[in-house]
Amino acid sequence: MVVNGQTPVCTRSFVSGDNMSVRREPSGTGRAEPNGRIKADSQTGLYPETRRQGMLSVLSYGRLVARAVLGGLSQTDGRDYSLITASYGFGKDFRKGILKKGMCYGDDACFIARNRTADVLGVADGVGGWRDYGVDPSQFSATLMRTCERLVKEGRFTPSNPVGILTSGYYELLQNKVPLLGSSTACIVVLDRRSHRLHTCNLGDSGFLVVRGGEVVHRSDEQQHYFNTPFQLSIAPPGAEGVVLSDSPEAADSSSFDVQLGDIILTATDGLFDNMPDYMILQELKKLKTTNYDSILQTAQSIAKQAHDLAYDPNYMSPFAQFACDNGLNVRGGKPDDITVLLSIVAEYTD
Amino acid sequence: MLTLLSMFYYICLRRRSRSGTRGEALTSRRAVESGQRAVLPVSVEVEQYAKEVLDFSSHYGSENSMSYTMWNLAGSPNVYPSSGDFTQTAVFRAYGTWWEQCASAPQRFRRIPNGFHSQDYIELGFEEPVYPTAVEVFETYYPGAIVQIMACSHNPFSQSPPTDVRWEVLWSGEPTKALTPQARQFSPKIKHINFPTNLLRLEFNSSLLDYYTELDAVILRGVKDMPMLALYKMPLIDISDLSDSEEELSDVGGPFRPRGDGRHQSTGSGYFDKLPYELIQLILSHLTLPDLCRLAQSCRLLHQHCCDPLQYTQLSLQPYWPRLSDASLGHLQSRCTLLQRLNLSWTGNRGALTLSGFSSFMKACGLSLVCLEMSCCHFLNEACLEVIAQTCPALQELNLSSCDRLHPQAFTHISKLPHLRRLVLYRTKIEQTAILSILTFCTELKHLNLGSCVRIEDYDVVASMLAARSRSLRSLDMWRCRNLTDRGLTELVSGCRMLEELDLGWCPTLQSSTGCFQQLARNLPRLRKLFLTANRTVCDSDIEELAACCPSLQHLDILGTRLVSAGSLKKLLQSCPGLLLLDVSFCSQIDIRVVQELSGLFPNVAIKKSFTQ
Repeated sequence: MVVNGQTPVCTRSFVSGDNMSVRREPSGTGRAEPNGRIKADSQTGLYPETRRQGMLSVLSYGRLVARAVLGGLSQTDGRDYSLITASYGFGKDFRKGILKKGMCYGDDACFIARNRTADVLGVADGVGGWRDYGVDPSQFSATLMRTCERLVKEGRFTPSNPVGILTSGYYELLQNKVPLLGSSTACIVVLDRRSHRLHTCNLGDSGFLVVRGGEVVHRSDEQQHYFNTPFQLSIAPPGAEGVVLSDSPEAADSSSFDVQLGDIILTATDGLFDNMPDYMILQELKKLKTTNYDSILQTAQSIAKQAHDLAYDPNYMSPFAQFACDNGLNVRGGKPDDITVLLSIVAEYTD
Repeated sequence: MLTLLSMFYYICLRRRSRSGTRGEALTSRRAVESGQRAVLPVSVEVEQYAKEVLDFSSHYGSENSMSYTMWNLAGSPNVYPSSGDFTQTAVFRAYGTWWEQCASAPQRFRRIPNGFHSQDYIELGFEEPVYPTAVEVFETYYPGAIVQIMACSHNPFSQSPPTDVRWEVLWSGEPTKALTPQARQFSPKIKHINFPTNLLRLEFNSSLLDYYTELDAVILRGVKDMPMLALYKMPLIDISDLSDSEEELSDVGGPFRPRGDGRHQSTGSGYFDKLPYELIQLILSHLTLPDLCRLAQSCRLLHQHCCDPLQYTQLSLQPYWPRLSDASLGHLQSRCTLLQRLNLSWTGNRGALTLSGFSSFMKACGLSLVCLEMSCCHFLNEACLEVIAQTCPALQELNLSSCDRLHPQAFTHISKLPHLRRLVLYRTKIEQTAILSILTFCTELKHLNLGSCVRIEDYDVVASMLAARSRSLRSLDMWRCRNLTDRGLTELVSGCRMLEELDLGWCPTLQSSTGCFQQLARNLPRLRKLFLTANRTVCDSDIEELAACCPSLQHLDILGTRLVSAGSLKKLLQSCPGLLLLDVSFCSQIDIRVVQELSGLFPNVAIKKSFTQ
């Protein structure tokens, strides 16, 4: 698409130099985004390139080579990427796949948001222990995710700093008139459309995988204080500040990673990772052939369903049970938990 | 051949570089496109949400947040059609008459025209200028506060400096109170104007409302071409329009001064000159300022009366902000030599007032000035404050609220006003050094508002300075100060024993467990107003201590604590007979049933319980 837009610039300049400047504008910019990218290409790199080619070689060859150069350049970094994402999940109490209010599965919450410059996803797992204090654990995670979503939609973030999203999201929770209580893990994934870099941050035991060619090429690190007690953002009731685990959003583990077209990004809460080992997830992902939304949703559904089935299988040796055994606990079976799966594919950006 | 080609190419290149950068080309293309769009049939209506919030007078939220801030009014609705008290909306700082009742409130100015109700405003920029056909406001909680919608001829996104800025009223009305707090879409019938606009101003009066009004979004509908309707209307002279116009304000006195032959007609004053001078003065004192200026042009006798400086001891130019200019100040200058109270709030923006106009007025009229209200005056700069400090030696009240573009350096000049009693610095960029020097030199301070002053690094230092220097402090507003701790509060309440009003809303670092609130109650027996909004640690023992020590309490806000029970509230209500306002919204132990029961027992108290559905 960019190639089409660019080449007329050099061909016309050879053929009809005089009205070039008039005719060039619509053709050169017509299909490009008004975002300055073309400007950078044409003014810094491309134009001198074609000129040199044209002057050194025979006319027709020059044109061909110029086209090739242009094509090559735009292949590597000309296009914007974006994420096509589908979400699916299960609440622990068999509230199957139904979103409560906003994007919630049980105590899990998630969001998918996009902005001019970036696609952003997030998952958060409300810590269930708060139910004993008469606090709905989903309130914290859901409000956190909704706030992050708003921050993204209103452009109050920088794509390269997902920790910033989490920090200001958490700060906004404190600005709510409602005295929120609770705690939650959180994982935020940002794709910078232009630079094709995936910026992520993760606090606690939710996480993400980047899968390329059937292999995991990048993943989040799990953060736990001790077994089954992940890092968590929290707002404690007055007087209990010292008692309740509370990690600062800055403690989140952040990373950056260059993605390619076709990379699959799976972001999920521990409900998935505790019940499904990598090889099973990869097996499911292999079934994903096309990049349309429906097939992604289907795959997300089948992954979530499988994890859900495994979670209630008393004889299955889940990754969670394995990890428990490593910690000297004799546990078998799956781990019944809320499951949230966000499945995304890196695709070319279209409006 | 090759050389020829390369030369030809070079020429092309030169042309290309001359034709401008790509960025310019892009904008020119856009211009062409928009030109094409303009050719479309007239009936095409553009609907747009606000692109940007440009200016506002106050808000509930914090400066670096997006909860309850005015910036939420930009973009599409977040809450509508739901109703309730939500973070995603735009909320003003005050509602009802609770703030006006306080001793810290400024005295009302005389001669306010009947049609002027505005207390707060917000200015919104839209993407494309249109001839407005409708304005829709999504009010999601306690609607009814909008009293005026105005349109400006200036494009806020254009690079050129504003010239000939015109404001037209699209709609105006009285403050109202909706029957329910339910959300509504307010779309009044608006007047057609003969210029395209992408800058709207909404003015509000929340005085009749039972709680904070919340706004979600604003839609501007309009057409790109001047509608035929407006074309027909144009030549008509609208009587009401004329009578409202303050254009005379700028050439006040003009026609009379140069006329030397006035004495030939001096005998025709009828019986008016038989009336005592004071009586005519008294009659004239009921006129609004434009009427006074018009009357001055009717005859010599009345001109003399209307120009008497005693008519201008207090002057509120706030209602006339759209048309006030350097010239109008210049004309008023000669009459205002005895001026004591001046209200310039909202005036002078977009270049209407300049340093020279302001300083020449102040030099002529500042000597006896006691009160100066200048909220949202964005023309103010450091030099203006220096002028105020030099020309107003007797100044006692200064209001600079929401002058958020005023440089931090400017505030140091305030310390040269030793008689200051009331100082409002809400939403300004004042820094710690400046406030400390003000507190050092202005020892007569009685009312101080430091709400949302985000540049002050350590409020504890300010509090201890207040305790040391401002012993006669009556009211203090520390709304949303980030880091006041129990140490500062303890010092403050042991130093400023006269405090009657204390706003500690949204000061998250105050911990009740340190006993600071109980100490506050014990030290301030005269307390009338206490805001502990969103302090999650306020508990029963604090309320009981207040009940025991502060019998004259009138306003109390303890929104958002989980630790206060109905029992302690009942005790408080029993021992504070003067209580008028009690906000227990989002107190999880106080449900609506308790509120109803208490309201039944204490009918004189407005007990507020907000909801989010």
